[in-house]
Amino acid sequence: MLLIECDGKALLRAAGIATPESVVVDGAEASALPGAGPWIVKAQVPVGGRGKAGGVVRCDTEPEVRAAQQRLLGASIKGHRIQRCLVEAAVAGHDEYYLSLMLDPAQYGVRVMLLREGGVDVGQAGAAQTQSRLCPPDTEAMAAAVAELAAGEPPARRAALIVAGKKLARLFMDRELMLAEINPLFVGADGCIAGDAKIVIDLNAAERQPALTELIENAPAIYPDAIRKLRDGFDYVEVDPEGEIGLLTTGAGLSMMLIDEMTARGGKPLNFCDIRTGLLRGDPMRVIKVLGWIGERPNVKVLLVNIFAGITDLAEFANLLCIALERTPVLRVPVVARIVGNRFDEARAILNEKRPDIAVEEDLTAALNRVDAILRGASA
Amino acid sequence: MIGTLSRRTPVIVQGATGRTGSVHVRRMKEFGTNIVAGVSARADVASVEGVPVFPDCRAAAAATGAQVSLLMVPPAGVLSAAQDAIGAGIKLIVTVAEGVPVHDAMRVGRLVRETGATWVGASTPGLAVPGEMKLGFLPNVSLKPGPFGMMSKSGTLSYEVGYRLATLGLGQSIWVGVGGDPVKGVRFPDLLDLFLDDPRTRGILLIGEVGGSEEEDFADAMRRAHAQGRALKPVYALVAGRGAKEGVAMGHAGALTFGNVGTFESKKQRLEAAGARVFATIDDLIDACRAEAGQR
Repeated sequence: MLLIECDGKALLRAAGIATPESVVVDGAEASALPGAGPWIVKAQVPVGGRGKAGGVVRCDTEPEVRAAQQRLLGASIKGHRIQRCLVEAAVAGHDEYYLSLMLDPAQYGVRVMLLREGGVDVGQAGAAQTQSRLCPPDTEAMAAAVAELAAGEPPARRAALIVAGKKLARLFMDRELMLAEINPLFVGADGCIAGDAKIVIDLNAAERQPALTELIENAPAIYPDAIRKLRDGFDYVEVDPEGEIGLLTTGAGLSMMLIDEMTARGGKPLNFCDIRTGLLRGDPMRVIKVLGWIGERPNVKVLLVNIFAGITDLAEFANLLCIALERTPVLRVPVVARIVGNRFDEARAILNEKRPDIAVEEDLTAALNRVDAILRGASA
Repeated sequence: MIGTLSRRTPVIVQGATGRTGSVHVRRMKEFGTNIVAGVSARADVASVEGVPVFPDCRAAAAATGAQVSLLMVPPAGVLSAAQDAIGAGIKLIVTVAEGVPVHDAMRVGRLVRETGATWVGASTPGLAVPGEMKLGFLPNVSLKPGPFGMMSKSGTLSYEVGYRLATLGLGQSIWVGVGGDPVKGVRFPDLLDLFLDDPRTRGILLIGEVGGSEEEDFADAMRRAHAQGRALKPVYALVAGRGAKEGVAMGHAGALTFGNVGTFESKKQRLEAAGARVFATIDDLIDACRAEAGQR
């Protein structure tokens, strides 16, 4: 998962890599600005290409900073609402570099990349091939690769790059990162300053990385999906807060495919959900939670349940679903339950008896058609 | 190694005495898998479902000669169980734990590569040769011997496709779940030769997802095979996650897109340029399979 820049920079600072003087604003009040200007105001959203999307604004005066803040906060970039801005003192009089350590999944290694002249366009392969080294996941090897890639640089610059490279390599290994990218990395007489931070963490390692869980726990509004995964042990991602179709589904790939198919049909899915029926073990709590989250959203017009039960007992699930619907008064919409697999007949009988209003389907396409029909009826 | 699997292949199950392990030992045996040994740190269990249990993989392999092991251990235990297996001379390991830390997976990958073994995982529902055997928990309702070689990142999406095929009387020659992790063992391109060489396989189903570069790499492998003058087989693909938010993983850590890398468009374009057909819906994919099998 990609951290927002200010969190990535907190990790860099903890690793001994300097960052520009800065303040994080969320719009509540006008904080004192760092330094005398100019400043850079940056939208804190977990996506790349913020600069091109207008999320990075250079400002020479304080009123310009306030105006930029006001314009950015509340706006969206690539589907992510801007809740915070980072206001940084602009760094001047330094050379710019691009430094990154990136997991190379196919090679089981880490690709170390160092390029002169940072800037937003770096990263488009090509030149990158010749200026990178593939390393084993090992601090010393990565640090050595940075030193080698910096061989042609002026001595003072090279020394600073080697120091930063080693610190970044240690951070990468200690925090089990998947990507640590600094672009631009300012290098001057006083050493290196990270102008940006793109840090991708591995949520699977969160349990043994308290420093990372703390960052996430401290920003629940920024990382709602990660919070859910850490606290509840399953995946729920809101795709479109204005969505009309709530999904109670199991399986990541199938849920993604359902979202794609419904979108192609003109539907507006609210969420992605992989509830992992295998871990319910007779307890409706997970189902209640998901229905509650769906019920909080204003435009939901239909709930689609899709459970493929290879092993899961559908009859047990049907009972849990009835209980959970009962306990979620906030969600009062038509329900289409597409269930298939282990003990389907019993499950259908249970639903027909307890909740005759639920449309039970065994065929997925038939279930999607039902959802369409309900939406058409709702808008008619 | 995967191409030679049959009901005679001896198999070890590490973590066989756990709650999930023991259930699936029984299910796999019912399916036809020749499970010859279990491995468990528990000293009080001598056997599970009639299968002798050993304290480590080395002892299990020495007693049985098995070279295939299924690891049914929790995610944090995968690295050490894999080290145990590889140290015991195992040639194929299959890991089913969900949520293996990526840096652990990298270590497993390096170890497997150094020893020339094969690894299916980190997190996969397993693999199967329907009519012969299965390793893991691919659901029986979706498994049926047939002409399609199937490979999938997603478990559930492949269950759905497999189920549709099975109910239509079609089925699979070999089915490999490669898993949705960013760092894994066998990747799509590694499986092309297996399917091209396998005489039972008439068509190849690729069930992918956004993120990573496996689909693109598979397309490149198709082009290389074609350039070498090899006869390709029809490739039918689904790529889920068109609507995924950039920078947000949808359940599978591997399903994470940044910029132009790993997007639906990039995968579709590369696959189609290599001669594969990419479908927008499960129905369309199934229709193409029926046509291939002469049902339409």
